[in-house]
Amino acid sequence: MNILYFEFLKLRKKSRGWLGPILVFILIMTAFPLTVEFLNEDLEQAFFSILWIAVLLVMMLATEDIFLEDFNDGSLEQLVIHTESLSFVIGVKILIYWALIGIPVSVIGSIYCLGITSSYEMALLIFPVLLISSYIFLNLFCFGNSLTLTKGSVLGTLITMPLLLPLLVVLGKVVIAINLGLNYFDFLILLLGVLSIIIVTIPLIISFVIRAHLE
Amino acid sequence: MIKKFIHQFASPKTYLKQVDKAYSFIFFTSLSIYLIAIFWGLLLTPEDFVQGHSYRIIYLHVPASFISQSLYLGMAFASAIFLIWKVKLSAYLVRSIAPIGAMTTFIALVSGSIWGIPTWGTWWAWDARIISTLILFIMYLGLISLHDSFTNNEKADKFLAILVLVGSVNIPIIKMSVEWWSTLHQSASITITQKPAIDPSMLYPLFASAIGFTGLVICLVILSSKLHILDRERNKSWVKDYV
Repeated sequence: MNILYFEFLKLRKKSRGWLGPILVFILIMTAFPLTVEFLNEDLEQAFFSILWIAVLLVMMLATEDIFLEDFNDGSLEQLVIHTESLSFVIGVKILIYWALIGIPVSVIGSIYCLGITSSYEMALLIFPVLLISSYIFLNLFCFGNSLTLTKGSVLGTLITMPLLLPLLVVLGKVVIAINLGLNYFDFLILLLGVLSIIIVTIPLIISFVIRAHLE
Repeated sequence: MIKKFIHQFASPKTYLKQVDKAYSFIFFTSLSIYLIAIFWGLLLTPEDFVQGHSYRIIYLHVPASFISQSLYLGMAFASAIFLIWKVKLSAYLVRSIAPIGAMTTFIALVSGSIWGIPTWGTWWAWDARIISTLILFIMYLGLISLHDSFTNNEKADKFLAILVLVGSVNIPIIKMSVEWWSTLHQSASITITQKPAIDPSMLYPLFASAIGFTGLVICLVILSSKLHILDRERNKSWVKDYV
């Protein structure tokens, strides 16, 4: 609990760390209809693509220096020799980032969905998908950033992006499933299954990578 | 005795000696097989009922696709060996295979595009199989970039191995993409559980081209690994004697 509170305070204090990505998300979602001169129906079709890409970009921005600051000021080394398991600490860190960035982005995304589609049902169904996908994106971008801890975030993003593309395909299918009234819950279960694997394995892998960096 | 053999073979010096002995045989045999397969496939096999002569690119496209995925699986296997048993040779092989894998994936994508024009009427389609193969190509480039961004080779090897293992989730996605999604790309014509959907007159040159192409790619991997090993071990005395 101490670590949870500590990480929460750290991120909350660094307002550009959590507020910045949320504002960028709002900017993208607001700017999108301004740049498109289609009828309402076409706007709705393009909206979901923009939504998933915006969530992806915002999660990428959010995790840019998730470990770099700790590495530079030496607190990452302290975490390695801490009594708590490093993978647990990393898992908590990612959870806090998701709580302060992923959840607000999901709520805002659902509101925009309501605005574009004028459908409460669609907005409600998209909300859990946004929650799960934002958490998956966060985990994977954290993995990429941990690999390239001292090399800058661009390379980390580049090497992680191929792992995210299959997820984008699934997210596109979810929207089609909702529109056609098909197997939405099957897709939700699939995403939850992927999340459950990632939530356990990625912090373990990241802790291994960080220890290798600090050797 | 098996343990001694494996242990011995894990040495880069022994590996170079063994591949030097085997290289010429593998190269000339696979080149002969591939040339025979190409001649057979291009000139002796009948025209396809639907696709006409355009199907003949199968003798390049299918081996290239198959090899690009197999090379990644090979890298994943070598990465696991490196991370578990710290065998240096495995790390060298992973780094050597990456550019060859990228090249074969590129050949698969380009040959597929060329085949797409007469069959689908388009160079490109956002189809599950094609997207996942493109992801594989980008993964290979990412692996090379990651390794080369580090000056410390030991760390680079470790991180490369981890990324290879994490990225290996893409291989079953590529393989099963034609089953899980309704795709433009045709489903597998050759499976373990069913009779092949290709006529034997076209199937046998396809097998021969796959074997020949595999042998040629193995030769490329051998050359690449030799260069990489000599570069990494350049301060050792055996390298000076070897060169």
